[in-house]
Amino acid sequence: MRTRKRSGWRRYINLVTVGVTLVLIAVLLPLYWLVSSSFKGPAGIFSANFFPKALTLNNYSQALNGTANPFGRYILNSVIVALSTTALVLFLATLAGYALGRLPMRGKLPILMALLMISVFPAIAVIAPLFLLMRSINWLNSYQALIVPYTAFNLPFAIWIMRNYMLGIPKEMEETARIDGAGPMRTVFSIIVPQVKPGLFTAGIFCFSACWTEFLMAISFNSETNYRTIPVGIANFGAQYVTPFGIIFAAATMASVPIAILVLVFRRSVVSGLTAGAVKG
Amino acid sequence: MAEVSAHPSTGVPTATPPVIVGRSDVYRRRMARLGWMFTAPALFFIGAVTLFPIGFAVLLSFENVNVTGAGFQLNGLTTANYSLVLGNSEWHYALVFTIGFTVVTVLVELILGTMIALLLERLTKARGMMMAILLIPWSLVTVISAQLWYYIYNPTYGVLDSILSFLGLGNPVILGSNASAIMAMMAADIWKTTPFVAIIVLAGLVMLSTDIYEAAEVDGATGWETFWKITFPLLRPTIGLAVLFRVLQAFGLFDLPYVLTQGGPGYATTSLAILAEKAMFNDNQFGPGVAVATTTALLVVLGCFAFLKVFRAQVGEEV
Repeated sequence: MRTRKRSGWRRYINLVTVGVTLVLIAVLLPLYWLVSSSFKGPAGIFSANFFPKALTLNNYSQALNGTANPFGRYILNSVIVALSTTALVLFLATLAGYALGRLPMRGKLPILMALLMISVFPAIAVIAPLFLLMRSINWLNSYQALIVPYTAFNLPFAIWIMRNYMLGIPKEMEETARIDGAGPMRTVFSIIVPQVKPGLFTAGIFCFSACWTEFLMAISFNSETNYRTIPVGIANFGAQYVTPFGIIFAAATMASVPIAILVLVFRRSVVSGLTAGAVKG
Repeated sequence: MAEVSAHPSTGVPTATPPVIVGRSDVYRRRMARLGWMFTAPALFFIGAVTLFPIGFAVLLSFENVNVTGAGFQLNGLTTANYSLVLGNSEWHYALVFTIGFTVVTVLVELILGTMIALLLERLTKARGMMMAILLIPWSLVTVISAQLWYYIYNPTYGVLDSILSFLGLGNPVILGSNASAIMAMMAADIWKTTPFVAIIVLAGLVMLSTDIYEAAEVDGATGWETFWKITFPLLRPTIGLAVLFRVLQAFGLFDLPYVLTQGGPGYATTSLAILAEKAMFNDNQFGPGVAVATTTALLVVLGCFAFLKVFRAQVGEEV
């Protein structure tokens, strides 16, 4: 039973290509709308033109130079918070993952299960107590107000990932290190860490993007302009009467491109993390 | 020899070969202690920011708490917060809305995501590129996608408004009426998270062995039968995991309504998290707000247990 070979461009038309095209349109069209609107002038933004006529970079300069909403500052804040958190999480998760994966501790399983339960806990449950605690030690509107809770919330998943990668290292590696007289810290950081680099990438990228996108804690703890992160800045861009969509989308494009590039470059790590389970979209 | 100076506490004579030193009980105990030293900093962080505040939240939810600009006072134990919440029609609505939103969006995302995954599995060359494209909405900040949809739904210059009037469907104010606002919010959520489900299901599909499909083909099974009798049962653990994490995330719904509808019109799109945040920070109802947050967390934990029971056979093995 052979289907007649169709000639020319027609042989590319089948259920799969049609379906894939529909998926592409559904995913990319709203994204196109986001990026193209960031280049529209005031006239273009208030009409639904598919191909904007007068393109301008005005929105970008207004987003970066605005005084009420200094978006450059928000980017800086997000970078500081996300990088510090990721560094801290990777350091702590490497140690804990090594211990839970390779050292003969008792009670490993209960710890791992407890971590799993904590990682699904909704952030709204701890907002109120953390807010009161942070206010009493003057932490509201500071970098540590976000770095500390972000570290705690991202650690369980990172520990799980690191532990799973640690399980795959041959036992001889540590024994060799021990014979050579390496101390425990040196064993972990110069023998073990190079073996689990993919795990570090996966845990790191998930932690970074979680910090980059988190909104509830950021708006509850750091509402002051100087310490706002990107999501808080973008949510609060609305002026009194008119929402400045052009500026919002310019800011949104600047916030999305770096993380999209990061995710695309490390897409193997991302997919392996997604399929490793414990991921909160 | 080097290993002796490295392990003075083992007290094992120099002549013993290192491998045997490694198996000794003393060494094991030392390594276990090291394990706790390595785990302690992480556990301390997690405990300080999650377990301790959760305990504090439960306490607060039973307190007659008074929050002022200067600080807060606890004025004695009470169950008033919970009676205020449980008897409140806004809370009832938020609970039903949050559950309904979760069920509908996760179901649609699961069906669409599985369809997309089955589609992409047929691709040979462009699959990697398609996966990369699907990751973009996943990586997008939710607040940004909310602003984007807010713009698309705008009643005067939104593109959806132009499309609807072009199709002769009039100019409905999409975010202005309850039913359409809820549907619009679901659509925004589905757009952003279906790719996430599709990627997980696709990764599960790719790992399935091809032999079983060849056997099914030999037996003359149709595509539909193959899917329900072979693919779906084998994919259950993967799908279960995707559903679990989507459910948990959807139940904490906050960012999307905060930007898109502010919980409105009226309180049509007020989720439990929105209700709790509003009560605590806008309406000066700190105690009831904490009670809402605590009951939400309790529901999540209970749901999680129920879910784990259903999927224990599959998910339990994976974790």
